[in-house]
Amino acid sequence: MNTDEGEYRIARFRDRLARGDVAELGVRVEMRGTSVLLTGTLPSAGRRDEILRIAATELGGIPLHSDLLIACADPPDRPEELS
Amino acid sequence: MTRDGGTNGAVVRVAAVGDIHLSPDCRGLLRPSFATLPLCADVLLLAGDLTRHGTVPEAEVVAEEVRDLGVPVVAVLGNHDYHSEQEADVARVLGDAGVTVLEGDRVLLPIGGGKVGIAGAKGFCGGFAGSSAGEFGEREMKDFVRAARREADGLYRALSGMDAEGCGARIALTHFAPVPDTLAGEPVEIYPFLGSYLLAEAIDEAGADLAVHGHAHLGTEHGMTAGGVRVRNVAQPVIGKAFALYHLPLVPTPVHPTPGEPPAEPASR
Repeated sequence: MNTDEGEYRIARFRDRLARGDVAELGVRVEMRGTSVLLTGTLPSAGRRDEILRIAATELGGIPLHSDLLIACADPPDRPEELS
Repeated sequence: MTRDGGTNGAVVRVAAVGDIHLSPDCRGLLRPSFATLPLCADVLLLAGDLTRHGTVPEAEVVAEEVRDLGVPVVAVLGNHDYHSEQEADVARVLGDAGVTVLEGDRVLLPIGGGKVGIAGAKGFCGGFAGSSAGEFGEREMKDFVRAARREADGLYRALSGMDAEGCGARIALTHFAPVPDTLAGEPVEIYPFLGSYLLAEAIDEAGADLAVHGHAHLGTEHGMTAGGVRVRNVAQPVIGKAFALYHLPLVPTPVHPTPGEPPAEPASR
């Protein structure tokens, strides 16, 4: 893969995440060596799987590492006291 | 204590979260945690990006998460909630569920013997002092910067006058960030799209005890304005919980005679 071509494909992937049905601006997409790393936190496992499906389509052929997390929906265990 | 005058240990318990990005596939996700709010909080603040695309069906999901919670719910909308250009409908659906949706205005809540003022505006981007967009050149560029200025002006107007109205705790609620502190973790290159120093300027000039925002998913929770107002980024990916909880000192409202009644007799002559 040509480096420039990878850059443009990543840019197109980011653009596709931001547009249309996906509307996901909270995923960070970075080149790490010859691989692409996805990081960020999503509201549900379904949303994460959707991102990974699109990544497989848009970035096919580029090794992909995913560290996408699911947001915790538990209440906090203690407050912050603001004095 | 946040200003002159003691608080006698009184606090307002503020729950806050932003960027929950709900859509029909997330129905009921946060309700079990929100149902605990009457036990631990006096108010729930929603810091925008409540929906994914800003549609009515998504707003209805948010409405059901917060309907009849047993604590007041106060919200601002975020950029996602504007995406389908149905922001008025989104606000109406939330309003019908009892949520107070603020945009350049404020709400005063009687809580625990005091009065809590919450001023809200979505805010906008443009960047931070020293590296911000200028109102110059093409019409599109000027419109962009003016939009940020309008939002900051709305927040300033909403915050101003809270002292005169006897607020014992003043909270500024926005979606976009007022300071870069709470963006740490985001790529520096996109800071200008994450907030505006004009919001912090409005907060410092008008005065507030706490500023709450969302939008920056990769940022950090804690920051402060140049004027010393605490800033908290409550984007859900940042706080890692259904909501964050803050105990903010609350100056009790002085007891005044009821209008029309003679003033109370002094205790001694």
